Amino acid sequence: MNLKYLLPPGIEKQLGLSEGERIYYCVPFDIDGNGNWTDDSFITVTTEKIHVIKGGDITSYNIRDLSKAAAEPGVGGGILTVTGNGSDMVLAHYSAKHMSRYAYIARGINILISGRFEEVESSEYEKICPKCGHVIPGTGVCSKCSGNGGFLHLIRTFTKPYRKDFFGVFMLMVAVAVVTLLSPEIQKRLINDVLKVNGHVSTAMMFVSLMFFLSVSIVFINIAKSISTARLGSKISDDLRRQLFEKYQKLPLSFINDRRPGELLNRITQDTRYISEFIADVFCNLFAIFFIFIWDIIFMIILDVKLALLTLSVVPIVTFLILTLRKTISRIFHVQYRKNDDVASDLQDVISGMRIVKSYGKEKEEADRFKVFSGEFARIQMRNERFWGFFDFSMSFWMGLGLVIVVYFGGREVLTDRMSSGELYQFIAYTLLLFQYVGWLGRLPREMSILKTSLERIYDVLSQKAPEENPKARDIAVKGEITFDHATFGYKSYQPVLEDINAVIKPGEMIGIVGASGTGKSTLINLLMRLYETDDGSILVDGCDMKDISRKSYHSQIGVVLQETFLFSGTIIDNIRFSKRDASIIEIIKAAKLANAHEFISKLPDGYNTYVGEKGYTLSGGERQRIAIARAILVDPKILILDEATASLDTESEFMIQKALDRLTSGKTTFAIAHRLSTLKNADRIMVIDGHSIAEIGTHEELLDKKGIYYGLYTAQMQ
Amino acid sequence: MRKEERGKNMSDNTINIYEKKAAEMTATNIIDPEDVFSKTPGGFLSLDRGGEHYERVRVIRLFPFSDADRFLSVRDHGNGDKEIGIIEDLNAMPEKSKKLIKEQLKLSYFTPVIEKIYGIKDEYGYAYFHVLTDKGECKFAISMGSNAVTKLSDTRLIINDVDENRFEIRDVDKLTKKERRMLDLFL
Repeated sequence: MNLKYLLPPGIEKQLGLSEGERIYYCVPFDIDGNGNWTDDSFITVTTEKIHVIKGGDITSYNIRDLSKAAAEPGVGGGILTVTGNGSDMVLAHYSAKHMSRYAYIARGINILISGRFEEVESSEYEKICPKCGHVIPGTGVCSKCSGNGGFLHLIRTFTKPYRKDFFGVFMLMVAVAVVTLLSPEIQKRLINDVLKVNGHVSTAMMFVSLMFFLSVSIVFINIAKSISTARLGSKISDDLRRQLFEKYQKLPLSFINDRRPGELLNRITQDTRYISEFIADVFCNLFAIFFIFIWDIIFMIILDVKLALLTLSVVPIVTFLILTLRKTISRIFHVQYRKNDDVASDLQDVISGMRIVKSYGKEKEEADRFKVFSGEFARIQMRNERFWGFFDFSMSFWMGLGLVIVVYFGGREVLTDRMSSGELYQFIAYTLLLFQYVGWLGRLPREMSILKTSLERIYDVLSQKAPEENPKARDIAVKGEITFDHATFGYKSYQPVLEDINAVIKPGEMIGIVGASGTGKSTLINLLMRLYETDDGSILVDGCDMKDISRKSYHSQIGVVLQETFLFSGTIIDNIRFSKRDASIIEIIKAAKLANAHEFISKLPDGYNTYVGEKGYTLSGGERQRIAIARAILVDPKILILDEATASLDTESEFMIQKALDRLTSGKTTFAIAHRLSTLKNADRIMVIDGHSIAEIGTHEELLDKKGIYYGLYTAQMQ
Repeated sequence: MRKEERGKNMSDNTINIYEKKAAEMTATNIIDPEDVFSKTPGGFLSLDRGGEHYERVRVIRLFPFSDADRFLSVRDHGNGDKEIGIIEDLNAMPEKSKKLIKEQLKLSYFTPVIEKIYGIKDEYGYAYFHVLTDKGECKFAISMGSNAVTKLSDTRLIINDVDENRFEIRDVDKLTKKERRMLDLFL
């Protein structure tokens, strides 16, 4: 992300930089004092001063006189503020376009205020290409500017691995075209050489058998073509599905969170289906039809130039219709697509929230709401089909008209002996062929637009850049020492959730994490689980930066028990084994015993084979939790993460699970978030998170003596 | 024995603090026209209310869409953004306060209202808008994949662009037929 824009010529001179004063950052701000857009304002931060440039006006502030800078996010924009002489000042007002940029600027100014001269750099990508104004979808380079955009490029990228298969299909298409074009020629011969001149039966038989042979061979070629295109289509969609799925898993969680689940599902299931359907229904005929189309016209012209031109005069009208309607078609089908997504999302919403819906007795309201979505979809679909029907109908009308012209004028030519009746027959056959394919070509825009939308939606995912693993990353055997070194993180770069976290956790230590909701406890855990990476500073494991440890090795050595345990559809044994695929049965039973889960599992009618998950046997919260603990025990983790593992349980299950957890945590570096402080009685130290950072850290007794936040929480709970 | 008592007293105190906190948190204070808003040299808003001076307050809209000028929450910026009180109706405030508060709202809410659509071009999953807003002419891009367009009602739209800027269309019906057709993609 660019933090050093070029100032308009002349402005830099006006700044009157002093000797040794260097420009560190220079970024525009786009909202003026009246709240309107402006494009001539900049903030320039030098080693000594902040210059606020508004057109020709420059106001400067000495960094020495300031105590703090902050980029305060608002709605749809933000302000850069500095604190000097104890009071806050607004320096610049900018739209959301520059929000992340100013977060870095504020960070940079604060570093300068503290007397250091490091320059902040942003590794974030620009969202919009500064050169061409196109959106860059999560990648470093603009696909448009580098010439990698474009529909053709998309097609090329997606089809490249299947070149051989495409060639095979292409050859079959040529065969279809040749055979199709040959038929009318033979029919003409039959009429002219046999029927009209009272020819011999044997010649007739020859023609008839030739026709029969052609008909049979076209059937076989078509079958072969259908089979190979269907295979090709399903192969491509299978590969795409797999690529999408892999990408979904590799992409940062934020990508998934930003999009509706129904839509992400649709991309994998529907969009790939459209692509395979396109390959099977449209693509396989594409070249054959173009081939036929061109030769068809050539043959018609050879037969009779005048008549051919007359017939073809209808074609421009049809083409014009197609072109003008193409845009509308692509638009209305996109709308239909969106409505379909709406229906899917709403359905998913209601079905997942069915318990709430039923318990508040809101079935009718929800049904009404759904009726609206569904009705809307139906309305659009109906409108689109009606439009389509009209389009098809008007095309047939023009084609019918073309045929009338051919018969009328061709008939006159035959009557005046300028054309043989066989030729007229052949001409009519070619005309029919032509119109049949004009109709087909008319369908093409719609198919293309569906394909284009599907490709775009798939490409949107595939072109996202997944965070790459550091090439230096290596496997390590974790001992369990964790060091937070100025760790800073926010889900959005301009909204830090954790700021400057510093702590050293010894191997085997148990750390209880407490604090009000929304202060960043779960975020801290997310960082430890390596679901996100720190923006600034680092987290070290045994003195080695987490980013330098391979993901696979790290994740195989941590265990996680969360508040809401997710069980996959499958048996209990599958669910326990999830963390370690190669665990033996004995290992699994041992883990289940340690987790206090063996008892209840044995009593289930299907034992460890009990099917759980969405459609399976319903386990209680405590039982699910114990399965999760068994899952965590199985890997024998060096680092254990418990996020309110017992919060949603009744006292008895909590007691049982607490016992299981005690066995699990001994000797392992453990991070446990808890609201109920009694569950942290074994913790070696307590970490209190408040206001984005560690407010207090120490043993239970130390923190009680301190009479701070922890003391307050503790006494409040003891009452 | 005495030590125990002291401990009990102390924890009682803590409980009292919590109860006080809870009472404060749940109390709904109304800011009345007598409370004095003034502008700080740095461009912010300060408030004098009930004998207390708040150096910098922030004003937040509680119903930014449905009631932008009513029910504004006034918060103490220095003190963890704690709510000082609620302004029930901005228009019932004295002219001077009203002007200052409006100025302050402008700093924290930036939602240009689209008045005219010059063109919408869709390409590879993004739609590029060229519009005229009440803040001036502007071009922006939205992602077609995510929920960029939120319908507040059948005719009122909020559009979030890729940068998370917000644009509003107050009434779709007031647009021309041509403009509406361009928007059709998102309705």
